[in-house]
Amino acid sequence: MASSSVFRFLILLAALVWIVATEDGRRRREPWTNGSWFTMGLVEFEKWSNQTELFSDKSRMCSRIRGLTPGQRRVCRRHKDHMPAVAVGVKNGITECQHQFRDRRWNCTVTTDDTVFGPLTFIASRETAFTHAITAAGVSLSVSRACRDGRLASCGCSRAARPRNLHNEWVWGGCGDNLEYGYKFTEGFVDIRERERKVKRGSREQGRQLMNRHNNEAGRRAVIKKSRVTCKCHGVSGSCSLITCWQQLASLREIGDYLRDKYDGATEVKVSRRGKLRLSNPHYSLPTAQDLVYLEDSPNYCVKNSSLGSLGTTGRVCNRTSAGIDGCALLCCGRGYNTKRTTVRERCGCKFHWCCHVRCNTCVKTTEIYTCK
Amino acid sequence: MTGTIIENLSGRKLAVLMTFLLLCQITCFLIGGLVAPTPANANSILGTVCQDTSTVKNDTTKWFYNRGRGSCKSINLEDLHQDISEADIVFAFQMPIPRDSNTLDYSRWQQNLIGVLQFEIKYHSQMEVKPRSVVTIDARLAYQNKGDPEDEWKLYTQSIEKRHLDCYIHNDEYLYNCSAIPLFELGSLYHDFYLLNVRLPVDTPDMNTNIGHLQDLWLTVIHQNGGFTMVWVSLKTVFFPCIIAILVWFWRRIHMLQRKPVLLEKMLLCLGLALCLLNMPLEYLTLHFDLPFMLLLGDIRQGVFYAMLFSFWLIFAGEHMLIQDISAQSSLKQYWRHLSAVAMGCISLFIFDMCERGVQLRNPFYSIWVTDIGTNLALTFIILAGISTGVYFLFLCYMVWQVFKNISNKRQTLPTMCSVRRLHYEGIIYRFKFLMLATLLCAALTVIGFILGQVAEGQWKWDENIEIEYTSAFFTGVYGMWNIYIFALLVLYAPSHKRWAVTENTSDTQNLSEEIEFNGIPSETSSEISSLTSYIRKVNID
Repeated sequence: MASSSVFRFLILLAALVWIVATEDGRRRREPWTNGSWFTMGLVEFEKWSNQTELFSDKSRMCSRIRGLTPGQRRVCRRHKDHMPAVAVGVKNGITECQHQFRDRRWNCTVTTDDTVFGPLTFIASRETAFTHAITAAGVSLSVSRACRDGRLASCGCSRAARPRNLHNEWVWGGCGDNLEYGYKFTEGFVDIRERERKVKRGSREQGRQLMNRHNNEAGRRAVIKKSRVTCKCHGVSGSCSLITCWQQLASLREIGDYLRDKYDGATEVKVSRRGKLRLSNPHYSLPTAQDLVYLEDSPNYCVKNSSLGSLGTTGRVCNRTSAGIDGCALLCCGRGYNTKRTTVRERCGCKFHWCCHVRCNTCVKTTEIYTCK
Repeated sequence: MTGTIIENLSGRKLAVLMTFLLLCQITCFLIGGLVAPTPANANSILGTVCQDTSTVKNDTTKWFYNRGRGSCKSINLEDLHQDISEADIVFAFQMPIPRDSNTLDYSRWQQNLIGVLQFEIKYHSQMEVKPRSVVTIDARLAYQNKGDPEDEWKLYTQSIEKRHLDCYIHNDEYLYNCSAIPLFELGSLYHDFYLLNVRLPVDTPDMNTNIGHLQDLWLTVIHQNGGFTMVWVSLKTVFFPCIIAILVWFWRRIHMLQRKPVLLEKMLLCLGLALCLLNMPLEYLTLHFDLPFMLLLGDIRQGVFYAMLFSFWLIFAGEHMLIQDISAQSSLKQYWRHLSAVAMGCISLFIFDMCERGVQLRNPFYSIWVTDIGTNLALTFIILAGISTGVYFLFLCYMVWQVFKNISNKRQTLPTMCSVRRLHYEGIIYRFKFLMLATLLCAALTVIGFILGQVAEGQWKWDENIEIEYTSAFFTGVYGMWNIYIFALLVLYAPSHKRWAVTENTSDTQNLSEEIEFNGIPSETSSEISSLTSYIRKVNID
């Protein structure tokens, strides 16, 4: 009798240990605060979008996208047709990140696993702040753009969440700008990750949630900040007694430039016991909603450290004459560089003919390529 | 002895009337600010790049669109397609765009539609887009109504237009910053759906060569808001019977007099008629008929009204000039120099409007600003109108200054009069100045409101969540203000029937005593517009 009860107890204990272990393992694989929904940027939606039934009610598309939290899956199910636009937005964001950081020690390298940016996503550094901001900006811009195409039929009309009688509302006051819709949709889809899980107030995890939300907001605001207002006079005899203005979307390049400036001026913060972000050094100026914030210092990107996700700068091409961050002295972290002389053929003297032809000459150039040791 | 109502009205009655009019004015302003939406709304549509696979390109029965049955095959311009020629590429804009999974359609309450094109051109260091390069656009507009089959579009109008493309770039940006190109203006929004197909033809070797790597084409369509039209038309519906009633009352009152109407009364009548024309709610007709000339008609109606108002101010100042020799009936001929400035301005603006909006009746894509001759012609007329306005205001200011100088001259003789008469005259001068002040106030408010509106629109940002629609409030406020101003003029400057001799029932005992004094004046038999002029004459006789 006693031995059987001891045996039962042992089994129970083993099961418990197993459950805890797998739970732990799951958490390590897919923590809540990593950037794993960025995998959407790697999904080939172009291939999916040929299937017309993809956006139908029965489609299980949202469970096929990896990295989404339950809240995001809910939003996804409600707005299935937005997902290709979101994916394009993330993809453009990542491309823009790589463009902005092409000359830096960390060059926005994408790994092939679910975390997209590798173990770096677990560090609440400046770089993580930038990735959050640029992807949020990319999604916001992409959704706004998709709405203006007219093919994304479910874009909103007014400031109200859902007008009771859309047709009357449209006749009465017209429809609002899609820039606003892109902002709101992105806010709902991206920030829900940071809101749906309750964490201990003042903990590191809460700090991370607040940081991500702040940086996402900064990215979305950058889209609005960089959009240009264009106006048209159409009053009496075409005079300016009546002016109508609208927002013209900026290119992601302009937004990326703006956010990189914000990255350079990012503010270090810490999370207070009350669960608010505070300045880590009271002498810093207070960050606004447009500024990026980070909690932890960046790792050393000079040396390869796979546990931190740093690839090191060995083998990177550098600029010998530059004194900036892309110069060989800084980029190679003082290790020196190799020089290689190569001959390249490139297109030059191009002339573009509307619509679809570019005529170029081929030039042969001999250049020296410098790579870090 | 008859005067105008304003002179015989007691101070208290005047105050009550003014308060009432002020309340009406505030109501007009609030209706615009709280009830009406913004006057117009803009929607940006991204052009779908369609591939035209047909061999005949001039077929106007073949349309390209991106929604509904028979939608086109779209291609991405970012990649280069070596197998496609420029004639195969059609930018399709289907309006309005759907929202909240609903197909929207244009309502006739939305009145008019203005289209603006924007080019998004990628920067390549090797192929720069020069500023002011010419782009040739083959634009075709089609329409469809509810109930029509989805693939049946009917041609509305087509045209090949040239436009100036102004692009510039700051050092190393990704896209050029190009100015918006006004493309079309529809004076009536009669149909439910519209479709614009744009091609950029290369018929001659130098056509469309300097436009760079075009990535996207945007169309921004601006329509008037239905809610604004409803509020606007309701205001007109209320004001129109009012002005008719007041005009009838005013004319009857003049006809009851023994004398013929004087110039100022005729001018007031004309002003009232111009206001009638402006207030006529013709917009109701657009709900049932296709009237593309409504934009032009609206311009003409406003032009006629302001011309009449400006002429009235001149003659009003002139009639109160108090330089005597008024034995003869004053007529319009005396003012031909002053009025020619008004006429000049109006005619130049009318010609300009006919050249722009008049031609647009035939071709909605037409713009006078494209050719150099057209630009010069338009600028000539606008500058002429500007000069005329300047000359007019110089005249007006000079005349008003003279009136005030005369008044202050005559006022110096006031202390020599007996106290009752002096009080009366001071009252008249006060009321005359009061009306001048009202005019100035109205004009100043219009100008200030207009400038504020421009400033507010210039700093337009969507995230400033303002509940009051400033622009609409400005429009209804100004419209209501000039209506009320003219109502007040017609009422207060109508001839008074109050006989001085039979005013026993008035509470104002001063009137009675003055009346006795006035009776002894010999000049009273001549026709006069106000007792102010009679007072001047009397002083001369004294």
